[in-house]
Amino acid sequence: MSHSREFAPTVQRSNAASGSVCRAPLWRRDTWIKPFFRQYRRALLLALALGLATFVFAAALMFTSGYLISGAPLVVSVLVLNVPLGLVRLCGVGKPILNYFERLASHDWVLRMTSALRLRLYRAAESEAMAFGSKRSTGDVLGLLAQDVGHIQNLYLRTLFPLALGGILYLALVVCTGVLSFQLGLAILVLTGLAAVAAPLISVLANAAREARRKQQRARLYDTLSDNVLGVADWMFAQRGADYLAAHEDAQRALRAEQRRIERFNRVRDLALQLVFGAIVVVLLAWAGTRFGGLPDGGANWVAAFALGFFPLIEVFAPLSSAAQEAGAYRDSIERLNDLPDPDETPRATHVAPREPLDISLEGVQFRYEGEAEDTLRGLSLRIPFGQKIAVLGRSGAGKSTLASIIRGDLVPQQGSAMLGGVPCAALGDGMARYLGVIQQRTYLFNATLLDNLRIGNPDATETEVRAALVRVGLDELLERLPQGLHTMVDEAGKRFSGGERHRIALARVLLQGAPVVILDEPFAALDPITERELLDTLLDVFADRTLILITHHLQGVSKLDRVVFIADGTVSLDGAPDDLERESVYYRRLLALDRGGRLG
Amino acid sequence: MLDKNMFALPGASRMLAVLCFFTLLKAASVVGQAWMLATAVDLLRAGSPVVDAAFALAGFLVCFMARQAIVFFQDGLLERYADACVTQLRSSLLQRVFAEGPLFVGAMGTGNVVTLALEGAEQVENYLRLVLPKIAGVVIIPLVLLAFAFPFDWVSGLIMLVVFPFIIFYMVLLGKTAKAEADKQHDEFNRLANHFVDTLRGIDTLKLFGRGADRGEEVFAASERLRRATMKTLRTAILSGAVLDLFATFSVAAVAIMLGFRLVDGSIAFFPALLMLILVPEYFKPIREYASDYHASLDGKTALASLLKAAPLDAPALRLAEPGASYPPWSASSVLEVRGVSFDYADHRGLEGVSFSARGFSKIAIVGMSGSGKSTLANVVGGFAKPSEGGFCASFGDGEELRPFDLASDAWRRQVAYIPQDPYLFHASLRDNIAFYRPDADDAAVARAIEAMGLQSLVEQLPQGLDTPIGEGARALSGGQAQRIALARAFLDPSRRILIFDEPTAHLDIETELELKERMLPLMEGRLVFFATHRLHWIGNMDAVLVMEDGRVAEFGAPDELLARGGALTRLAERTLEGGRR
Repeated sequence: MSHSREFAPTVQRSNAASGSVCRAPLWRRDTWIKPFFRQYRRALLLALALGLATFVFAAALMFTSGYLISGAPLVVSVLVLNVPLGLVRLCGVGKPILNYFERLASHDWVLRMTSALRLRLYRAAESEAMAFGSKRSTGDVLGLLAQDVGHIQNLYLRTLFPLALGGILYLALVVCTGVLSFQLGLAILVLTGLAAVAAPLISVLANAAREARRKQQRARLYDTLSDNVLGVADWMFAQRGADYLAAHEDAQRALRAEQRRIERFNRVRDLALQLVFGAIVVVLLAWAGTRFGGLPDGGANWVAAFALGFFPLIEVFAPLSSAAQEAGAYRDSIERLNDLPDPDETPRATHVAPREPLDISLEGVQFRYEGEAEDTLRGLSLRIPFGQKIAVLGRSGAGKSTLASIIRGDLVPQQGSAMLGGVPCAALGDGMARYLGVIQQRTYLFNATLLDNLRIGNPDATETEVRAALVRVGLDELLERLPQGLHTMVDEAGKRFSGGERHRIALARVLLQGAPVVILDEPFAALDPITERELLDTLLDVFADRTLILITHHLQGVSKLDRVVFIADGTVSLDGAPDDLERESVYYRRLLALDRGGRLG
Repeated sequence: MLDKNMFALPGASRMLAVLCFFTLLKAASVVGQAWMLATAVDLLRAGSPVVDAAFALAGFLVCFMARQAIVFFQDGLLERYADACVTQLRSSLLQRVFAEGPLFVGAMGTGNVVTLALEGAEQVENYLRLVLPKIAGVVIIPLVLLAFAFPFDWVSGLIMLVVFPFIIFYMVLLGKTAKAEADKQHDEFNRLANHFVDTLRGIDTLKLFGRGADRGEEVFAASERLRRATMKTLRTAILSGAVLDLFATFSVAAVAIMLGFRLVDGSIAFFPALLMLILVPEYFKPIREYASDYHASLDGKTALASLLKAAPLDAPALRLAEPGASYPPWSASSVLEVRGVSFDYADHRGLEGVSFSARGFSKIAIVGMSGSGKSTLANVVGGFAKPSEGGFCASFGDGEELRPFDLASDAWRRQVAYIPQDPYLFHASLRDNIAFYRPDADDAAVARAIEAMGLQSLVEQLPQGLDTPIGEGARALSGGQAQRIALARAFLDPSRRILIFDEPTAHLDIETELELKERMLPLMEGRLVFFATHRLHWIGNMDAVLVMEDGRVAEFGAPDELLARGGALTRLAERTLEGGRR
């Protein structure tokens, strides 16, 4: 659980749900699925054509085989059978090859679209207008969205593609049989229609509510189980573990019951579908028997052909219902993606440049997060001359990180002004990174080489410069320890490195960035006092000639800075040089005594 | 092909036997269906009216449906069986979680435990339902059809017999090739697959450095590289299915052509020829189905292995509560002795020969640098971590003899309140969270706890007061508020005379810490307290300090004595505070 409102530049809270009161149906609003269909229609058509050909060949193999063996006894010479013989061979070899290429083509199609989807999601996430709820961390929300793209991949491959293929085959079948005989065409239209159209529709209608309920139950189960596994120690001490397990089993049983209802429906439906398929075979056979039976000159050969030809097509029509049903599972993913803002295309680099010296000046800043009842900042004024080292303290929720976001220009005060070097902070946009560096509570390391991670600070830095930065932040030993030096991969979330080392890497990154102002947002919260002290010494050493804003939750090392500011009730409550405060403020002395270890100090 | 783990499940062999019986019936109905269809075609072809073939057509339909009905019942049976298995697997895992607690969860990861218990169990269920009938099908149906085909037409039988081993051979071969290919590019593949999530998760960082905008093209390029890598693997992976398919359709074509030639020279009659033609695809169907589900069932196989590893079914039953064993409440004359306790983590030793004794209502601080074993010791005292060496002795009553005692027992837990750095708040009402140790507590008692821990202002702020849901996914509370709630839990249950704190204030801002300290000190009176911390100001309020260094006890004694001695505690204090003042 993160208690502090962490300083995250892309996150602007707004209640995204407010727009959801009255909305058009999803399929009409959708801007994430349909456009990509259009954009990649050629690859889709290729895959569909191959899929269609596969099943035509499969049916043709049985059809011509049936024709062949029916015809064979009647002919005098093998030569007459050359055509069906050739066809049988062609179909026998062609079907699996077509099938192979169909599967490759459909995967290729979906993966191409996935690339486009990812790019679009990235742009949306990157755009300034990103709005998340406060419940989850930014990383989790984005992880969820990345999964959604994966779900859409499944939607294409497992639902939309088979449905399209089934639909086309259905039409083709009806037309072909209709040409032979109107009655037969009609019978096929109705019977196959039951399997290809009616059953999927009924399945969706009958199971949609059940599926939604099941999904809800499952999500709830997931949440409560995570919740209680996290609190397992408390259950043990409260000796109530057995109670919880019993409650969990009950919930699991309820979910199971819902699932069972769905499955029973599916089993009955599948049984009914098979009856339809059996009936189709009988109808085809009866029609072919009446039409061709006993005809001279090989006419009767068609009887067996019709009897056998339909069997391979069962494989197409049988799974359509479950495919249609599955579509419902992707609904949430599509909703979530569609709720994302469109990436704004307006150029964000601006030409305003702050003037030297890069003083920070906040005048009467008032700020309130959307949907919250109270102001976080209420007329806060603060001037930080260039080069000053300042500690910002305050309770969690007092507005320390909000203040940092305002200085960075990611949040705009509703009243008052925030200026950097005489220019409004927000006007600098992406250009802010030239003037201001940030070290966050948790340092994110990308799964790339150490060098790539450091070059995020400055893509043009030479290896020598990167090495020098690592030496300055005291990581020379680490560098020697790494098997491939700078080119070592930073494994899964950088578990290779300790907390202190991660902070030093972040330090080196900001050092390379070369920004004259550095904000540190509670960088020490997870470190022990000794590591913290050493890190602060390094920090003051490498950033000696820059402005340093240290947001912190206790007073350790603060006496080494030029100035201490306390924020309370949305404004500055205490402000001064550490020595002055120690002399003048009783409150500060009490806190200091606490921090220095009571009677130890 | 056969998964040993599957047969570790109760009743798996019997279930397979039942399935084999069903499959035998299914094979019989396949033969019947082919027979009736061939008869009908034979009749109709010769020009008989449909009415004459009605019997055969009806017979076909009956056999066709009989086969489906067998599948229907078989699925129902399997569903119940798989459900029973999975319920057992899941509850044995959860039993273990709730019996062994945080250390077991920590070793596996909370996310893993939950995923395994829910998703993993579902995958196993699917796996059982997919694989068990397919094993029966792949063995029985081809055998029955072959035995049936040979007497009718040995040529077709021979073709079928010869192709089968080839199929198996190629499947194994291609499976291996695909696996080798996949293994070869596994790392690169994984990196590309995770690149997108990685970039998204680090988007904050990218933006802070002004590098957000130019990363889009890279995301697309990496995704395209991933597509090409995936397609390369797929080309081999799908090939096994294609080759299998090729063998099957090729065999159908071969049988049809051979039949055609022999029909021309009259060495075979039409009826058996047609019968063969209908049966050949059925012969290959089971192995094709097996191959197509093979990949789908892999995750289930893995999940089953992990579930059995995490909580073996044959392990002795775990107890969640033992009502019998009871000791008198901890009192001023009670004694706990820790004797030579060591604790090993998977890759290193956490504690080494720790011995000390705690008497009555003393307050003991546990201090030391990061990694010195403070938290491990708190875990051992809390009964989560079972020592790999050494043990405990305790005497609860007046003048009672010291007897060996298990800290991982309910007798101990019943008397302990444990307060970690991040106390966990359940997704439940504030009231339920406070009354967690004493669900039966009355309103007045809860009100006193709220008052004592300074939670009134929080209660007033909350829209539904005490009934407001808090915790994960509901209203987020600050770290200080979470601590107060944990303290209120302990306050509400005066029968718990032992308090264990693990870094309770490390991450709190100093002002909150100051306020909390004032609330915590009275709570500690009349209780045995273990207090692991690196905030040294607490030791002024303690009766004894235990200084840990590298998993050992470096010093143990009253704070003043230790400071006067100038040993480990003094060194630690100097290292922590040095430079803290100019």
